[in-house]
Amino acid sequence: MLITKDNIYDTHKCRLLRKYELTEHESLFLFRFEDPEVAQNWRYLPGQFVELSMLGYGEVPISICSSARRMGFFELCIRNAGRVTDRIHKLQPGDIVGIRGPYGNGFPVDQFHGRDLLCVAAGLGMAPLRSVFLYAIDNRWLFGNITIINTARYGKELLFQKELEAMKDIATAENIAIIQSTTRDPDWPGLKGRATEHMDKANVDPKNCAVAMCGPPAMYRGMFNYLVDAGYDPRYIFVTLERRMKCGVGKCGHCNIGTATSWKYACKDGPVFDYYAIISIPGLI
Amino acid sequence: MRYVKISKENTYKFLEHLKATGALYAPQKISDRFYDFCAISDVHDVEFEYDRTIRPPRRFFHLPDEKMFNFDMTRHELTPVKTQAEHIILFGVHSCDIVGLRIMDAEFLDEQKDSYYETRRKKGIIIGLSCLPDEYCFCNVRRIEFVDAGFDLFFHELPDGFLVRVGTVTGHKLVDPHPELFEEVSADDTKNMELFEEKRSSMFSIYGNWDNLRYFLELRMDHPMYDRESEICLGCGNCTLTCPTCRCYDVKDLPAINQVNGERVRFWDSCQFRSHGLVAGDHNFRATKKDRFFNRYHCKNAYCPETTTSYCVGCGRCTYFCPAEINFKRNLMEIAGYRGAV
Repeated sequence: MLITKDNIYDTHKCRLLRKYELTEHESLFLFRFEDPEVAQNWRYLPGQFVELSMLGYGEVPISICSSARRMGFFELCIRNAGRVTDRIHKLQPGDIVGIRGPYGNGFPVDQFHGRDLLCVAAGLGMAPLRSVFLYAIDNRWLFGNITIINTARYGKELLFQKELEAMKDIATAENIAIIQSTTRDPDWPGLKGRATEHMDKANVDPKNCAVAMCGPPAMYRGMFNYLVDAGYDPRYIFVTLERRMKCGVGKCGHCNIGTATSWKYACKDGPVFDYYAIISIPGLI
Repeated sequence: MRYVKISKENTYKFLEHLKATGALYAPQKISDRFYDFCAISDVHDVEFEYDRTIRPPRRFFHLPDEKMFNFDMTRHELTPVKTQAEHIILFGVHSCDIVGLRIMDAEFLDEQKDSYYETRRKKGIIIGLSCLPDEYCFCNVRRIEFVDAGFDLFFHELPDGFLVRVGTVTGHKLVDPHPELFEEVSADDTKNMELFEEKRSSMFSIYGNWDNLRYFLELRMDHPMYDRESEICLGCGNCTLTCPTCRCYDVKDLPAINQVNGERVRFWDSCQFRSHGLVAGDHNFRATKKDRFFNRYHCKNAYCPETTTSYCVGCGRCTYFCPAEINFKRNLMEIAGYRGAV
């Protein structure tokens, strides 16, 4: 649930509790709200994002990548890519940042209940999808079989590779298939190839499966073709998009997408879109 | 609706009264070709027959630049700047700009209210003024040439004064204290308003309804117009800065020299700038000038549910003030195959 102050651009103070290096460029940050009331009432959906404010540097939109079940805490997986994120990477545990949100529609997880779940991530796409995956694990009884496919170009770029690897033993007993693959790494000992090449290992029933994907447009196009041919129900295929979501509340205009009949703000109308939105709004992927 | 009449002479007296209740802004000539909404000291400077102001009225409520917060980096405090809004009376707003403000309201006063905009807008009084179109105007095909909401008072030109529509309680409160200035509307006045409307309607260079335009824009997305015209475009952003419904803004943190305090400010941005879609890692979601040109054509022709119109209100500013003389109206007509004088 969005908890805003009188001024919608005002932030809540959050303390960094832990910083954990995932790859050379990405780290995982665990935050807790300073205000107990906010900590107890702040809720979010998998796929939503926050605006993280570093005073003196600015704000950046970051997907939440933790399980929505742990109240008052949230994790952000952040790539050191620009001026603000570089400053964030210099934070030490105990430091304070500003947070507003959560923003965006998030994945409609209510519609996923009772279905199998397929999560397909490429590269940094694993960050928002980890939230979906952990949500399903925390609410295991609401889902059928679960498959997660995590891909990256190189093994050292695979986000949450160790975390997923560590889940493997229990996963089999829980009917969860964990597939991790690299596309360009000759030294990678595990699976190689794109997500579509490992769909035979998915343990889900296409006719009764919800699909959540995050990755580059090329991955979406390949997966859409595969999924529709394989008989997946298009109503339950969802992707999440990245745009320059500066304000998060549909005002500043930077995340505008679409064309004249379907003009959207990625921050407000998205960032999660279903298959039919993707095929009817040119320019989304 | 309540209707009253005011003579031209009494209008000046009425403007004097308005000036006493708040800051009065009205169109004035600022150069050979251009008008702007200016603070009025002498009410006789008000220009009743102007074509369009270079700056749209949205600037009074969504400031070109604005300090949003003060911050303290050592104490991690972000303190909102309290909006100091004075009572603003905008006199002489054409119907296109009134709809423009309603579109701004739809965006800034939705379920996530922008308090800076809201504080100023609540203190703003909008007084409309009828107008005659020139060759740049196409508000009629946008269904905007006659407004029925968004104004406190609306002045319709008559041969001997104005027929005034009273749109809101605020409007009543402006009229009521001055019975000596207003009179009842006669049958002749109504007839004169009819004649004015008839004259106005006959002066547009094009006719019809452009509601189907957005569909043609999508069906002809690869139209050669985009290549041809974006090649001419200078990317200066004049079209968006003068547009009454463009509202993109960017936010920056400006740390003070002591590295402790600072300000978070926002300022108007333009989708025609390369920086608009630029993100970290040098990726740009609208990398080419054509991408940005295309973006504006689709954004402006999208549908605003709150006004049931397009975001473009047909005021003609983007063409009138374009240094490259790119004709928005003509280009849209070319894509949709509409006939009429350009």
